Amino acid sequence: MAELTDAELRKELIALGYRPGPITATTRKVYAKKLACLQAEAAEPRRRVQAAPPSPGRGSARPQQASPSRQRSSFIPPAGAARDTPKQQADGKSRGLEYYLSQFLCLASFVLFMIFLGILMVKMIGSGWLDRREENFNLLPVDCDKRTDDFCQAKQKDVLMNVLHELYNYLSVQAGNFECGNPENLKSKCIWVSEAKDHVVNVTGSSPQKFDAALHWILNSNKDLGIQLKAKDLSGAVRSVGDVFCLESAHPQMGLGCRFRRAVVTAIMNLFLFFWSLITLWGILLFLRYRWRKMEEEEQAMYEMVKKIIAVVHDHYKEWERNLERYPYVGIFHVRDSLIPPQSRKKMKRVWERAVDFLASNESRIQTESHRVAGEDMLVWRWTQPSYVSDSEH
Amino acid sequence: MSSTSQKHRDFVAEPMGDKPVGTLAGIGEVLGKKLEEKGFDKAYVVLGQFLVLRKDESLFGEWLKETCGANARQARDCAGCLREWCDAFL
Repeated sequence: MAELTDAELRKELIALGYRPGPITATTRKVYAKKLACLQAEAAEPRRRVQAAPPSPGRGSARPQQASPSRQRSSFIPPAGAARDTPKQQADGKSRGLEYYLSQFLCLASFVLFMIFLGILMVKMIGSGWLDRREENFNLLPVDCDKRTDDFCQAKQKDVLMNVLHELYNYLSVQAGNFECGNPENLKSKCIWVSEAKDHVVNVTGSSPQKFDAALHWILNSNKDLGIQLKAKDLSGAVRSVGDVFCLESAHPQMGLGCRFRRAVVTAIMNLFLFFWSLITLWGILLFLRYRWRKMEEEEQAMYEMVKKIIAVVHDHYKEWERNLERYPYVGIFHVRDSLIPPQSRKKMKRVWERAVDFLASNESRIQTESHRVAGEDMLVWRWTQPSYVSDSEH
Repeated sequence: MSSTSQKHRDFVAEPMGDKPVGTLAGIGEVLGKKLEEKGFDKAYVVLGQFLVLRKDESLFGEWLKETCGANARQARDCAGCLREWCDAFL
């Protein structure tokens, strides 16, 4: 490396993307070292391509912070502006969160409502379709009780079916009445055998034996007929017609209003948990909105305070330059006491402290220092912009 | 912003004029003497070297370490001080 002439060293450096200054006796060694550094980095896989620019790059980024002091305009610190965009992004994110949460809650409420309607409809339509068997069977044209030929058997079966239908309808009507307000003051859904028998016999005009045959048929059938036979002790199995104590319908017939009411209650019961959790989430959303609004208001108050402080410190400095003040710095507490009237000092305490922190970390023209003012050690603020710049503005 | 020393603030507050090299931030008695032996007896001469290196702080730091044996922190303080002075007055 020492054999390189000045021109060659310069050419090598430029080839690697670095622009060197004059290569003199004092600078040659440093530039040679720089060249070695750059060549070593270029040999590495392109991980650290940024290594050359950062030093001049960093050197040119920092002046931007101080150069507004050289420009005529810009009262707003660039560091403050750079902090505003992350702040706006954080606000935007919380806005986004709020937006998505409210959308989600609206959707969930809508879904809940749809499910509610669905359950309602299912309960109302329910088992109504089973009652549509309108079959009118006339009574037997001839007396078939005693005969056993095929025709009579078929006819008897029809009559049996008729009895069963009638029984089914009667039982479901009674059950429906019982469920829906119980106007006849029934004690239970289960109808006594004797009552059922009387009713059916009266309506169909068939004999009580037919009724017993029907019961027998129900007992022997495996299908679910919608009629439940219950024994006297209400839980024992029914083995013969004689054991049957009362009859109950499994598909009660209920009026539309009654169905609707029961459906609503069932739906609410089923969706109870869902409903309450939604209410809670809505509550949380409203609370969060309130909080975010409060936080924004606090931020605004803080920025107002920061602006006022900057104005006060700057004015103090200007007055010091005109020899009206003794020191170029002003105590922090003095500023506070001059900006905030005594009655609101407690209320504005939080805003003030946030403003002080903001200035300490974000404001480049005001330094926070510790000095002895009027015999007392206190934290002070000092304006650091060179004075001739502000003078040239006027 | 309060991480700069009082020396730095004092230097950057006004044109350097004929100030000795010991008033630069990061340059104490020992380093100041070494620089004076090499011929850098005034702050403006060191400024000259900084400018010849095109205001490259890292390169200037290297040079300072080579010339008077400053450590990394002293070199960084001195370079930063000179750069701020340049931003303000140059």
